[in-house]
Amino acid sequence: MIEARRGIRGLAFEGWTALALVVAPFVLPKIGFVPDTMNRVLVFGLFGVGFDLLFGFAGLLSFGQSAFFGTGGFVAAYLLTRMGLTSVMLGLAVGVVAAAVAGLLVGMIALRRTGIYFAMITVAIAEVFFFMENSPLSDYTGGENGLPGVPGPTFNFGFASVHVTGGWSMYVFLAVCYFVGLALARRIVASPVGRIFVAIRDNPLRAAAVGHDVHAYKLLAFVIAAAYAGFAGGLLGVLQGYMPPEAFTFDTSGQLIMQTVIGGLGTLIGPLVGAAVWLYLRDFLQGSLGMGASWKLALGVVFVLLVFFLRRGVVGGLSDLIALARSSARAPGKAAPGGGDDAPVFAAAPQNSNPAPPPARDPGEPEIAGPILQVRDLSKTYGGLAANSEINFSLERGELRGVIGPNGAGKSTFFKMLTCEINPSSGSIHFEGRDITNLGVTEVCQLGLSKSYQVNQLFTRLTPRENITIAALAERRGKFRLDLLRNPADIPGLSQQVHSTLALVSLTERADVPVSGLAYGEKRRLEIGLALATSPSLLLLDEPLAGMSPRERVETVKLLKSISKGRTTVIIDHDMDALFEMSERVTVLQLGKILVEGTPDEIKANAAVREAYLGGVLE
Amino acid sequence: MAIGKFGARDAGPVSRRTLLRAGAGLAGGALLPSGLILPALAEDQPALGTWPDGSSGSSVFVGISVPRTGTYAAAGEDLIKGYELAIEHLNAGSEIMTKISPNIKKGVLGKEVKYGIADSEAKPNTAVQNLTKFISDNKAVMVTGSVSSAEAVADNKTADREKVIYLVGISGSNDTTGKDCVRYSFRECFYGQTAAKAIMPVLIKNLGKNKKVAYLTPDYTYGHTVQKSMEEFGNEGGWTKATDQVSPLGTTDFSSYLLNVANSGADVVVNINFGRDAVLSIKQAKQFGILDKMTLVVPYNTPFLAKEVGADTMQGVFAATDYWWTLEDTNPIAKMFNDAFRAKYQYSPEWSANLAYAQIAMWADALERAKSFYPPDVIKAYEAGAKVQSTVGEVFFRGADHQLVRPVVIERGKKPADMKTPEDFYDIVEVVPGEGLMQSPTEFGCKLGSYT
Amino acid sequence: MLSLPNFAAQAFNGLVLGALLALIASGLTIIYGTLGVLNLAHGAMFMVGGYAGVVAYQYSGSYLVAVAAGSLFVMALGLLMERVVIRHFYDRPPEDQILVTFGLGIVYVELVRLTFGSLSQSMPPPSWAAGITSLGFMIYPTYRLAVVGIVAVALLALYLVLYRSRLGMIVRAGIEDAVMVDSLGIDVYRVFMIVFGIGAMAAGFAGIVNVPIAPITPDVGESILVETFVVVVIGGVGSFPGAVLGGLIAGEILSLTSMVDPSYSQVMLFLVMTFVLVVRPRGLLGEQGRA
Repeated sequence: MIEARRGIRGLAFEGWTALALVVAPFVLPKIGFVPDTMNRVLVFGLFGVGFDLLFGFAGLLSFGQSAFFGTGGFVAAYLLTRMGLTSVMLGLAVGVVAAAVAGLLVGMIALRRTGIYFAMITVAIAEVFFFMENSPLSDYTGGENGLPGVPGPTFNFGFASVHVTGGWSMYVFLAVCYFVGLALARRIVASPVGRIFVAIRDNPLRAAAVGHDVHAYKLLAFVIAAAYAGFAGGLLGVLQGYMPPEAFTFDTSGQLIMQTVIGGLGTLIGPLVGAAVWLYLRDFLQGSLGMGASWKLALGVVFVLLVFFLRRGVVGGLSDLIALARSSARAPGKAAPGGGDDAPVFAAAPQNSNPAPPPARDPGEPEIAGPILQVRDLSKTYGGLAANSEINFSLERGELRGVIGPNGAGKSTFFKMLTCEINPSSGSIHFEGRDITNLGVTEVCQLGLSKSYQVNQLFTRLTPRENITIAALAERRGKFRLDLLRNPADIPGLSQQVHSTLALVSLTERADVPVSGLAYGEKRRLEIGLALATSPSLLLLDEPLAGMSPRERVETVKLLKSISKGRTTVIIDHDMDALFEMSERVTVLQLGKILVEGTPDEIKANAAVREAYLGGVLE
Repeated sequence: MAIGKFGARDAGPVSRRTLLRAGAGLAGGALLPSGLILPALAEDQPALGTWPDGSSGSSVFVGISVPRTGTYAAAGEDLIKGYELAIEHLNAGSEIMTKISPNIKKGVLGKEVKYGIADSEAKPNTAVQNLTKFISDNKAVMVTGSVSSAEAVADNKTADREKVIYLVGISGSNDTTGKDCVRYSFRECFYGQTAAKAIMPVLIKNLGKNKKVAYLTPDYTYGHTVQKSMEEFGNEGGWTKATDQVSPLGTTDFSSYLLNVANSGADVVVNINFGRDAVLSIKQAKQFGILDKMTLVVPYNTPFLAKEVGADTMQGVFAATDYWWTLEDTNPIAKMFNDAFRAKYQYSPEWSANLAYAQIAMWADALERAKSFYPPDVIKAYEAGAKVQSTVGEVFFRGADHQLVRPVVIERGKKPADMKTPEDFYDIVEVVPGEGLMQSPTEFGCKLGSYT
Repeated sequence: MLSLPNFAAQAFNGLVLGALLALIASGLTIIYGTLGVLNLAHGAMFMVGGYAGVVAYQYSGSYLVAVAAGSLFVMALGLLMERVVIRHFYDRPPEDQILVTFGLGIVYVELVRLTFGSLSQSMPPPSWAAGITSLGFMIYPTYRLAVVGIVAVALLALYLVLYRSRLGMIVRAGIEDAVMVDSLGIDVYRVFMIVFGIGAMAAGFAGIVNVPIAPITPDVGESILVETFVVVVIGGVGSFPGAVLGGLIAGEILSLTSMVDPSYSQVMLFLVMTFVLVVRPRGLLGEQGRA
């Protein structure tokens, strides 16, 4: 993952890219690149930047990018040829806007589904767009002829005017456009929005549960990718002086995908490398070796091999190699690689021996009298099975409530309804006086109710620090904010919150180790930390002690006691000793209904409870 | 004919260039090959397109871009054969070339012609890329080839932008020398309007007036322009359109369209599809019994159609075409061409090969008359409208739209029993002369651009 | 062209168009339903079946040999593909599966193009199905009629395997819950491999059966793939009866739309598919919760 960096070092990536772009015209022709090919590489590289944001970062595999490539290209070309617009840059800009709008409309349809269905819808959309271009709209698009005569831009610098046509002047123009696009993408990736994209790809369920409007972010990614595609499409028309109908074909989308994967997903510069490889091999294999159509076979095989073995493509593989070399050169045992170089938001602040837990969310309005949580007649049935039946449950502010019950009692289902992950069949839930019964998990989290999961729902590709940051970002920024260019370090209080949460769950030492490298107990603590970072006023903990060793249990119980100060907490667990030690009151569920409620002592003595667990007691 | 150190320039009219060149040659260029003299005497013209770079050596490069894959691949391969034969003959100074025009010598202006071939897949974008590569990499002095009009139009625009001469291959759309015409492109073959105007009177004469027509049209410019032309000329004989079934390029299953045709009540089915689409649609039309009820007309014949579809299906079918090999009975150049082609490729040439050959020959002729590779000079030589002999008689280019004025051949499929050889598919019904046939140059909106 | 005779003719033709789509889609849907893998190489395998059959025909002159060759060759290809490639992707995100099958599809197409070139290959219909039949309201090529019968037999065979054999029972159980099947001690991977082989074979069989109708080129797979998606989505992913129903519906959409405006028939399919995906993603007969 690309780290956010500050200062001169932070711009190393951009610097190297700029250098490569400047040097390329002197070096590449020696191995057979001609200006025209290099220009095409730039156009497709730019097309791919947007796609990489969409797929490499946000994880959305779309086969329909050609629709936006073509839309942007043809709108720009139409304005510049048939409508007589003289400013090429303005034409391109309008093309970008048109493509973004198309992206928004298509996204609203396509993103209603995920994974494979999403991919299939994008295929269909691409075909529909191609058809529209070819037939009904052919008066505007020139049908299968395309739109010829697209002019190159002219720049007036006062003292001189430069008209860009083909060849090297076009290269300079395109290189500048590419660089701007790339630098912008880098900013987006480093911004909170970029971080959230990555989280969504990793674990969309949890991203929603910590308070992000996942659908809105996906749509944003889709629109951004469409805008890049539209820009690249417009540039293609300018490059060739002709806008071809093939821009809309499924083939173009497929070519983009293959180039990006070959070059490297999630690297932003991968598509440029992939396009260079693709176009170079096409010319080289076809021309010099006279292989005819088999260049595509060679590329297809390379593609399959890369998907198999080198999922991160050429650039990804190279950067992994470099990282590997760096880390083995570093002294072993050092906890946090790259800790000092990172931006302040990720850096470890000075240690505080008794960190205060992040405060519970400030409700803003004066505290409402009455229970913080009021559940009435809550039921959930699945077909014939009643998972929860008419549960009446209320919670006072500041309480620490335990919930126990034999397996199959409906405890987890109950929690899921509270967080609005599932909708109840009947009944109502009121949180802080507000009816939250059919809201979504994101809204509820933003209101201050969140949960730590029984089975870890972590962002496994990120580090603990990054995990907590994701949650904290939702807490700081609300469920959706369009801060594409913001540096996370500029968000007030963010680093403080992340740091203190990490300290609270004792993960400061391990904050920069990828989750996959953590021990189970550490992962459980991170799980709790995630829920905590959303600053909930009501915190639900689903079996926080599951799978822990006795020593870990003791530590975790201490942790749970400390975090329950100043907030309301409900804990489900099977470890009754721990639960009775921590809770003020305990609720017992059985077969979807509440059996009994009371203090731990009362519950311990209750015969019905013993019977429920042991199936009868021999007196 | 021996080429002296100073080339064939001795033969032409004396120009300032010639004098200067001769002078330089005398002055000390005795050891220099003729080609190198040209750039040393920098003309008053700035460089244009690939001139003078592309013609400064002892050879020049011609870029050929045709479909080798896809629906039109067969015609593309045939074009290649025509080009290759022509370039071979040109470099060898063959007699056929001289018969076409006495101006043609060995090579072009003393230079050998080299060439390269690229697959355009019948896609405009790929064609444009091919041309651009030929021009920037190989410094091609001329580019040529197309089977679909979409390619041809895209190639037109590219050639005009790059200032390199482009010779159209197959392109049936009226617009290629109509609203999409460019100063730098020249078309030899026939097209929708000429085909329709030539074939319609023959049809009316043979089949009668007031017929209902079902059209099978491929969904792009070529298809629509031919369909419009056919309808327009058909009106004069009271022919009306019963239905127009428009199919996308590359359709393999025409059943839906053919069922609509079968139920349309038409007397005649006009199949405008080209290439493999034509082969499939006709084969399937036979399967759906349409050819038993209706007469088939192919207003723009596809090369090898009869061979692929079979004489049995093609009997009685009216077609308009650019060239058919039995013209050799009346045209000696056709006979020479056919013989040479058969010797090399073991079958009689179709009109695509003939087209390619003719374009190369006429280009060589124009170059010799221009005495230079400077594009505006060559263009002006074309526009002068000099007459050349060809396999279809005397032809010449029109200056106003760069279309070759030439006849259209109307043929009719023979009964299998009447075929004298396995290739003898058609009777030539009429050879309609071009001059009365072709519309006025501006009728399709041609506005040629500038020379430079 | 909206006349009754034409309507009858187009409706009938839609049946024929739909029958083949139903067969191909059955293959795709049982693969996706059981393995959870969307086989983007399915269209290419349809095409490979056609070529394998044509080659067999050129050697043997027999239609039956060609059909057998086409089917068996693609089945072997499917078995191989699952064993060597797909098996390693079960634990990887679905996007990776899509990408690898997409890549393989391209490799197959280009391999065929390299071997056979791009010109089309054809095969005549068998003598017992050649010629033209008069159906009263229209004339129809006999072979297309035969195809309906042939496909019906193939679908019946598939049905028998899926619903009346032990293997089929395991497969259907696997579609519902692969983990459970595994826990019952059945070698799920072997089942997966067989399922992939069967699904591929359906595509290959359809490929060779289609050649006498429309000559085959390396590129036919792409449009077939997209049309097959539509069928699977309409009918319901993972549902064999859904694929059959979806195929017939798709065939009718294609032919009936062409009565109104032929150029819109393909795009109408895509619009219907998008509509279904948004409104009822499990399709007509599919299982819920397969998103």
